[in-house]
Amino acid sequence: MSSSPAIRIAIAPHCSLTPSGAWTLFLATCSVSFGVAGLLTLRGFWPVLAFAVLEMLLLGWALYASMQRRHHSETIVITEECVDIETHARGAAAHAVFPRHWAQVKLRGDVSPLRPARLTVESGGKRCEIGSFLTEQERQHLAVRLAPLIGGMAESPQLPSGQPRG
Amino acid sequence: MATHAHAAAHDDHDHKPHGWRRWVFSTNHKDIGTMYLVFACTMFFVGGSMALVIRAELFQPGLQFVDPQFFNSMTAMHALVMIFGAIMPAWVGLANWLIPMQIGAPDMALPRLNNLSFWILPFAFVILLGTLFVPGGAPAGGWTMYPPLALQSGDSFPMMIFAVHLMGISSVLGAINVVVTVMNMRAPGMNLLKMPLFVWTWLITAYLLVAVMPVLAGAVTMLLTDHFFGTSFFAASGGGDPVMFQHIFWFFGHPEVYIMILPAFGVVSEIIPTFSRKPLFGYESMVYATAAIGFLSFIVWAHHMFTVGMPLAGQLFFMLATMLISVPTGVKVFNWCATMTKGSLSFEPPMLFALAFLFLFTIGGFSGLMLAIVPADFQYQDTYFVVAHFHYVLVPGSLFAIIGAVYYWLPKWVGRMYDQKLATWHFWLSAIFVNVLFFPQHFLGLAGMPRRIPDYATQFADWNMVSSIGAFGFGFSQLLLPYIILKCVRSGAKASDRVWDGAHGLEWELPSPAPFHSWETPPSAAVIARGAEH
Repeated sequence: MSSSPAIRIAIAPHCSLTPSGAWTLFLATCSVSFGVAGLLTLRGFWPVLAFAVLEMLLLGWALYASMQRRHHSETIVITEECVDIETHARGAAAHAVFPRHWAQVKLRGDVSPLRPARLTVESGGKRCEIGSFLTEQERQHLAVRLAPLIGGMAESPQLPSGQPRG
Repeated sequence: MATHAHAAAHDDHDHKPHGWRRWVFSTNHKDIGTMYLVFACTMFFVGGSMALVIRAELFQPGLQFVDPQFFNSMTAMHALVMIFGAIMPAWVGLANWLIPMQIGAPDMALPRLNNLSFWILPFAFVILLGTLFVPGGAPAGGWTMYPPLALQSGDSFPMMIFAVHLMGISSVLGAINVVVTVMNMRAPGMNLLKMPLFVWTWLITAYLLVAVMPVLAGAVTMLLTDHFFGTSFFAASGGGDPVMFQHIFWFFGHPEVYIMILPAFGVVSEIIPTFSRKPLFGYESMVYATAAIGFLSFIVWAHHMFTVGMPLAGQLFFMLATMLISVPTGVKVFNWCATMTKGSLSFEPPMLFALAFLFLFTIGGFSGLMLAIVPADFQYQDTYFVVAHFHYVLVPGSLFAIIGAVYYWLPKWVGRMYDQKLATWHFWLSAIFVNVLFFPQHFLGLAGMPRRIPDYATQFADWNMVSSIGAFGFGFSQLLLPYIILKCVRSGAKASDRVWDGAHGLEWELPSPAPFHSWETPPSAAVIARGAEH
């Protein structure tokens, strides 16, 4: 058996807002809302503050819920023996394991105008799609990266040592 | 051996639910957008019918058809229905349909919240319209709900407050969804300054909504506690200040006006470049102008209430701040004109409505400038001049932009082209009758006719008759809109994917009709670059 280390590739959906950006957005909105509500509260009209608090709690929850997309991820671990694909989405995890020697990577094109290509790892009549949330270029790039690591059917190419992780 | 549980889940992309469940439990942004638009159209005709009751009564001096109490109910209900039931839901419907498609997102960020924010609305309006049948009649103190008049309403008062709360909750949920969607769901490469103007204007609109809705909710709750729980926030007898309600209400109310008009700026900024076959002139200045208008909308509220008595410094501040809004608005009008200059113009129905918006909204803007001048406003306050002003802003402004947007994107939504000849007829009838309806109201106001009265002095008779003829002409010509849409859905010719040859934007990269699920795979950098040719 080879002692090459496992190669790990982690992919996640794009979120246009970073956690720090989300905090900045939330605090900026809070400052405006609480600024107005605070001034009115000082004049005795405190119910406005109560509604502002409720609304900012809702905004905070909405941002938090949307930022959970960041935790949707696919992790592909390639060892000498197998290709292990782990998917995390909305708290649920799914796991697919393929024997590396009998697995292959396929990029199927022209499925529909909205889904230009579909990247799968396949073996023994089973398939697992990966990177459905990537852009077309990113998916092609991933396919090019995976193909020499997984190899074709009945192939076990030498895994490079010192392959960067992630 | 492979063991995987999730692979099959990826094959559901064209799954579309059927029957009533598709609509009641919908989390699809396109279906929810459609429901908002249908609801807005229904409320538009309900509110329009109320307007026709008003104009029928005002056709001649004297009391003809309704008693003064019911007449006043019609003015208040017409405003509430049109603002919260027609214009705002129409914009939210357009936002639902377009924002995810325009930023390359598969759906709104919070789809279930989206469903909830829509389904609150029908209940709110059942309650509001239900006030027509309770003892004492519907609210008759105007949509502004000024105390102490509003506190003297009958059983309709708590129903109105509850309905306003529900409408506010619906608006806030929708606005938060828009903010989170635009900020977090943009496709890779779709940076903020590549977003279409419609998305930008809606993002700023959503911020305005988030900022002002707690103020409205607080204000109407304080009215409620003054009425039922013995508090004295606005009751002078207990040491409260009724004028403070006006300040608080208009702190919400003036941004509310911009909430109704900013998305219209976005729509017109999409339509004019398409039919000029030129990129939008000054894209970035349009974004900054929109933001400037949004900011200024927070510091002009007291121009609605110059006559309540306020210090001279306050009058000057609010007058000058109001006039300042004309600068970023002027930037926009200039940019739209510059976009058309030397363009290959064509005049399909969306462009006709956009051009009418440009001319007629500008008239509304100019009359707004007149109202901003404090000594002049002392004369115009509570006259038909004010009625003419805000109807020029909201009807050929917001409403024409909504109709233009429907004619612009309808082929993309349903995959069929509508009858353009009939739509052109719709435009000309609307454009002519809207001026017959509202322009004479300037003359009536300048001559001193007060608003919200069922009877008037005989010197106002001629222009009132003209205005009422315009109202009926305008109202009945709007029946063409649902007819054209239904005809399009049933038997329109197949529309191409791009529909309009000058159209740019990610939505035009999708097939027509837009698929039930779109952009589940984000658009590529090349597609985004092609779509972002502003």
